[in-house]
Amino acid sequence: MSTLAEMLSRDFLLHNALVGSVLVGLVCPLVGVYFVLRRMIFLGVALPQLSAAGVAFAFLLKSVAGVHQHGESGERVLAIIGSLGFAFVGLLVLAALERQGRQTVEARIGITYAFAAAASILFVAADPYGEAEMTHLLKGDIVTTTGTGLRLLAGVLGAVALALFALRKEFLLVSFDRDMAVVLGKRAALWDTVLYLLIGVTISFGVMTAGPLVTFGFLVAPPLTARLVTRHMPAFSVVAAAFGAVTAFVGFYFAYRFDLPLGPMDVALAIFVLIFVGVFRGAVRAVRWRRLQR
Amino acid sequence: MDPLLRLWGVSLGYKGRPVLDGVSFVIERGEFAALLGPNGAGKTTLFRGILGLIPVLAGRIEYGFDRRATPPGYVPQKESLDPIFPLTAYEVVLMGAAARVLPLWPVGRRRRHLAAECLARVGLSDAAEEPFWALSGGQKQRVLIARALAVEPPLLLLDEPTAGVDPGAEAAIIDVIMRLNRDEGLTVVIVSHHLRLVREVVRSVIWVEEASATKGTAAEMLSTERLVDAFGTAAGRPL
Repeated sequence: MSTLAEMLSRDFLLHNALVGSVLVGLVCPLVGVYFVLRRMIFLGVALPQLSAAGVAFAFLLKSVAGVHQHGESGERVLAIIGSLGFAFVGLLVLAALERQGRQTVEARIGITYAFAAAASILFVAADPYGEAEMTHLLKGDIVTTTGTGLRLLAGVLGAVALALFALRKEFLLVSFDRDMAVVLGKRAALWDTVLYLLIGVTISFGVMTAGPLVTFGFLVAPPLTARLVTRHMPAFSVVAAAFGAVTAFVGFYFAYRFDLPLGPMDVALAIFVLIFVGVFRGAVRAVRWRRLQR
Repeated sequence: MDPLLRLWGVSLGYKGRPVLDGVSFVIERGEFAALLGPNGAGKTTLFRGILGLIPVLAGRIEYGFDRRATPPGYVPQKESLDPIFPLTAYEVVLMGAAARVLPLWPVGRRRRHLAAECLARVGLSDAAEEPFWALSGGQKQRVLIARALAVEPPLLLLDEPTAGVDPGAEAAIIDVIMRLNRDEGLTVVIVSHHLRLVREVVRSVIWVEEASATKGTAAEMLSTERLVDAFGTAAGRPL
């Protein structure tokens, strides 16, 4: 209990890390619901990896070109540009290939993941400078989140959440029935691009804050859990975000209390919640079924 | 003569290669027409062309209504929609009602009322809060008709609305479509393989075959010879 009180105190040493973690846990599932609904879950693992490769690439370019951005903010700007660039270009290329129907979805995403993972390692290996700093960024060392970094994260993810809410009927229509959207005169390609942009931004900031593993976990696990217990679209998004935020908070508690790494703790907890809710729902259904048969 | 839809020497196809060429016909306001023909003849291509889902390669399609202000009502096959979406029947219909609501604007009370009214028109008021995926095939199809009606369309286009449903559900769907055409004067174009349905309820047939399409009355177009030729001996038997 004292740990919880310490975490909730304003003077908590890791206050920025806690808030950042909860923000990622809150917003990643809002984007993740579209991964689940559009059956693009594996894109959730490929894109964060691609985003991480973008961070590594930006640092490599800096080293090769001899450009020296001094200080933490300079490094962060570089990381944002690289991360966003790779994630967004990757999304657009994958979307274009999907429309042309080349290869299967699994093949496209598998190749993307393999490329991104290999490229990340190669970019890091080829960079003679700042490897330690870059490794921190790639791992998503949330503990080092500064006040400025947190404000930026809150601003960006807040804007993403607001955009997802404001444009929900457009995103839902193009996701559920693209043909209907076109017949109704909606610019389906434009709405897809806006959605991909929001996805790219969320993943980039998620990766830089919490790393690819946590970002993937929060993109996928809370929406899958929420899908088991909701019947309406608005509830689906809200419950997914709530699962994500609570998981992030509880994960932080356990990691801090038992001195465990935060990222794997968050993901393990999110998956545990998914399994627990799935089993509980199955049991409830089985009981109802038996009662009906009597 | 009050044409609602006119095709002038239209070519339609994919990746620049025409599947249909030189298609010309007129759909009158209040008409009930069927797109019919053997598998692979180009019915779906023509249907998608009329809906504006594929580009016209040559010729032109004229709509007797403002497509932007009042788009046509589109009823896809129920199988084309993914059951993973957590939507109730009412929420599916609301998508049609919200068609003219600008981005960023909320769906107002009038539109919500319209969605509920359209569900009532297809006899599914009681299923409004049921999950769409949990409905029977026939009910899903009627929900999709309600969604198309919620657009307040001048023209209703249905893709195989009775495919994969039992006879009772089929009768309910046909009853809804016939009422919309007969009582409300809604122009209906339907893609169907269902010859009995086409013979009984449709006034005109657009026969799609050999990269072209011909329009005539149901009696003219559904001659025994044509049906036997297209579908085999069973199709030519009296129904």
